[in-house]
Amino acid sequence: MSCFYLLHPEPAHPLEYFFHQIICGALAAVGFGVLFNISFRSLPWCALTGGLALAVRSCCLSYLGWNLEASSFAAALVVSTTVLVLRARTDISQNALDVVGCIPMVPGMFAAKAILGMFALTSTDAGHGTETLTEAVQYTLRVMFTVGAIGTGLAIPALMRHVRVTK
Amino acid sequence: MVALDAGRMLMEAGANASSIDAIVAQYARGLGAERVDLRIGYASLAITIGIGSNGITRMREVGHLGVNQRLDLELRRLGDRVVRENLTVAHTRGELERLANKTRRHSALVMAVAVGLACAAFGRLLKVDWPGTGPVLVSAAIGQFVRRELLSRHANVFLCASFVAFLSSLLGGLGAHSLDSETVAMAMIASILLLVPGIPCVNAQSDILDGHPTLGSARAVTVAVALIFVAVGLWLAQVVLESCWKGALELHP
Repeated sequence: MSCFYLLHPEPAHPLEYFFHQIICGALAAVGFGVLFNISFRSLPWCALTGGLALAVRSCCLSYLGWNLEASSFAAALVVSTTVLVLRARTDISQNALDVVGCIPMVPGMFAAKAILGMFALTSTDAGHGTETLTEAVQYTLRVMFTVGAIGTGLAIPALMRHVRVTK
Repeated sequence: MVALDAGRMLMEAGANASSIDAIVAQYARGLGAERVDLRIGYASLAITIGIGSNGITRMREVGHLGVNQRLDLELRRLGDRVVRENLTVAHTRGELERLANKTRRHSALVMAVAVGLACAAFGRLLKVDWPGTGPVLVSAAIGQFVRRELLSRHANVFLCASFVAFLSSLLGGLGAHSLDSETVAMAMIASILLLVPGIPCVNAQSDILDGHPTLGSARAVTVAVALIFVAVGLWLAQVVLESCWKGALELHP
């Protein structure tokens, strides 16, 4: 497989698309890792979690046919569990590594579209008002559910850790 | 007060409530407290320390909540040392001051390039085409540089978010259009994704799940307001570009 497949406007082969998502997820996580002042030595862990998150999400979206919210939940759960297992080897707090890994999944585009849709309502004629409102509400709900799914997926392994086996 | 200062620094470094609770208790017990009760608010921390039948309550204001992972890690390590090496109050205070002043940050240039790369990668995930990806990288890097400069001059966080969103999306849109990108609107959105408050967003939820609904709600409201200010900047950029191009381009995705 040529490495130049990444330069195609839209990778056609499913495997190419899969790798494209993983590399972009890893790059985004590394970039945000630097923004959060994570040391250079620990950035590969950020790349690993970002790539893993996008791999799981893409797998659930493309191969299992799940929706975005369920896929994001599964990805966050896998990332958080992996970070919990690898915690001793990394030099970063679990919370930060979890978040950096899942940041590429935060639906920033939906959030922007939702708020812009609300703005558009003020300048839309009555004929398109209902359509615009419906779209804006749909985006808002998708943002809420996706962020909720990511947060819940991240929290579950950490919360399970505190459950006592014996009373 | 030393334990409270550690808590304040942790909060300003982006830690969530349960971590702050545990680490402040570690500092306080390591320095001799028998009972520790901490109340974590969005803008202040209050602690009650008990030794024997005596108790004392102190409060501390918390500054701007940013994210600084290296400082967070150093504070956790110092907490371990306080317990393991029985550090004195004066020594611990000295170490805290050293951490506050000496913890290194990445240079502005490294941060700008990293954020540019991250936004370009985000852009690809949002299906921005290749002609639009380059401008996203450059505009997000410029946006991050400007944001850092503004925040270092104590500009209001929300106004700063609006201004950077306007600047980055305007540059991203202009660049993508001039390079004949077919995804100008997406390039504009990808250029401002550096401003999405990811850590506060996840912290808000984890705080509520950990039993700190007040702090979690305050964080959630702050995230919502920040997003509104970011969207205002993006909207203004769209208005400017649409008026320049006089409807020649559909900017609404």
